[in-house]
Amino acid sequence: MRKELVSFIRLPDFALWKKIGDNRIPLSFDLEVTARCNNNCRHCYINLPPGNKRALRDELTLDEISKIADQAVSLGTLWCVITGGEPLLRKDFIELYRLLRSKGLLVSVFTNACLITDKHLDLFKKYPPRDIEITVYGITRKTYEKVTGTPGSYARFQRGIALLLEGGIKVNLKAMALRSNAHELPAIADYCRKRTRDFFRFDPFLNLRFDGNEERNEKIRAERLSPEEITAIERADPERSAAVKKRCGTLEISTPLRRSDNRLFQCSAGDNSFAVSYNGLFHPCSSLRHRDCLFDLRSGSLSEAWFDFTPRALSRKTTSREYIEKCRICPLMNLCQWCPAHAYLECGRMDEWCEYFCRTAHARASAFGPVSA
Amino acid sequence: MTKSIGTDMVFARSNDVVAREIDGMLIIVPLTAGVGDMEDDLFSMNETGTAIWNMIDGKKTIKEIISGLKEEFIAGQGEITKDVTGIVEELLKRRMIVEAASS
Repeated sequence: MRKELVSFIRLPDFALWKKIGDNRIPLSFDLEVTARCNNNCRHCYINLPPGNKRALRDELTLDEISKIADQAVSLGTLWCVITGGEPLLRKDFIELYRLLRSKGLLVSVFTNACLITDKHLDLFKKYPPRDIEITVYGITRKTYEKVTGTPGSYARFQRGIALLLEGGIKVNLKAMALRSNAHELPAIADYCRKRTRDFFRFDPFLNLRFDGNEERNEKIRAERLSPEEITAIERADPERSAAVKKRCGTLEISTPLRRSDNRLFQCSAGDNSFAVSYNGLFHPCSSLRHRDCLFDLRSGSLSEAWFDFTPRALSRKTTSREYIEKCRICPLMNLCQWCPAHAYLECGRMDEWCEYFCRTAHARASAFGPVSA
Repeated sequence: MTKSIGTDMVFARSNDVVAREIDGMLIIVPLTAGVGDMEDDLFSMNETGTAIWNMIDGKKTIKEIISGLKEEFIAGQGEITKDVTGIVEELLKRRMIVEAASS
């Protein structure tokens, strides 16, 4: 008999991550528990007002979430990311969180921290989350509330984050790089790095709205930094700069592509994760919102969605010459935001070239090269 | 302090953990604080450990577990006893099992 009967596994070293390539197990999923939010951020791709009747009506019930989680667990899912909207807006959040944990899922929570109370603190102390990720929109009231569009939100954020940190709950802090807070980004980074558990990261890439709301999309476009501004803030941040440079090292496409290979999805969507939106729709990846890539979990099972629907949806091919000649063979692909999901949000087609993505990728390659584009 | 494990003792799986089988591997997920050292700690067991875990059901005594293992594994009584008491001590320490009763 071997001596080492019980062993620890740290999640990043989990042996199953290595095996999943062969077995296609859905090890993790994003669970969007609401599209509603207490804030009204200018750049947000999903937020609806807290009392939005349609969003409330369509939200998955606790019972529906329980059934989906049971199916996920039976397929091998180990990790669930609770996201929104703002998850804490749900009156049954505590019950929902405990329910998912009790099924043997590791749970992460993405929140703005504004609604944290002592009850949440007690919950997280007793049933620790895998992590809590909080987005920091600014570190002054003026900037924070310019982004959130919600008076009083900065004080609520400060109170929430203090409750967590003083209560011994470790959090990971991140930021969005926006037109409205770019001037404060170095100070935001400094604030986050002093308080975060594992990492700080910022994201300058803003998705357009999942609901296609053009009025809101205009606001998102207005918050986007130019490609040159993005590369400037990336270069100014040593950690980020090193990460992008590393990507530049593997820019060339090493394996020659077959001319006949016109598959649209060359990414890892549907390999070992999926997403469920607030209204019960299954997505092979959280950004993928094209109607042909959605499966209604209120009408069918997760098993059908995972084993039958996903391979079929992702086997989609394209005849778009623009995509085939510009994007598919582009050596800057891993510096680019382009993917079928983002292209759909940006242009309404999954196989369309997107000027903003392309300009940004080339600006990044020029700034961080050398690259043969 | 390590609890002395008697062969008449009975143990049950604790409510502080959830046992999962993923791709044929037994994974024990801590539910409450303090079972693992970090928030993303998981536990797995080798074949023998899994067999012992599966027999810890709130009914079988340690003696019965040892006897069951003797039928399943080619190993001496002493070695099996040592493995069973060793794992039970470890699981107790980590609050993964609780003492159910003594027969």
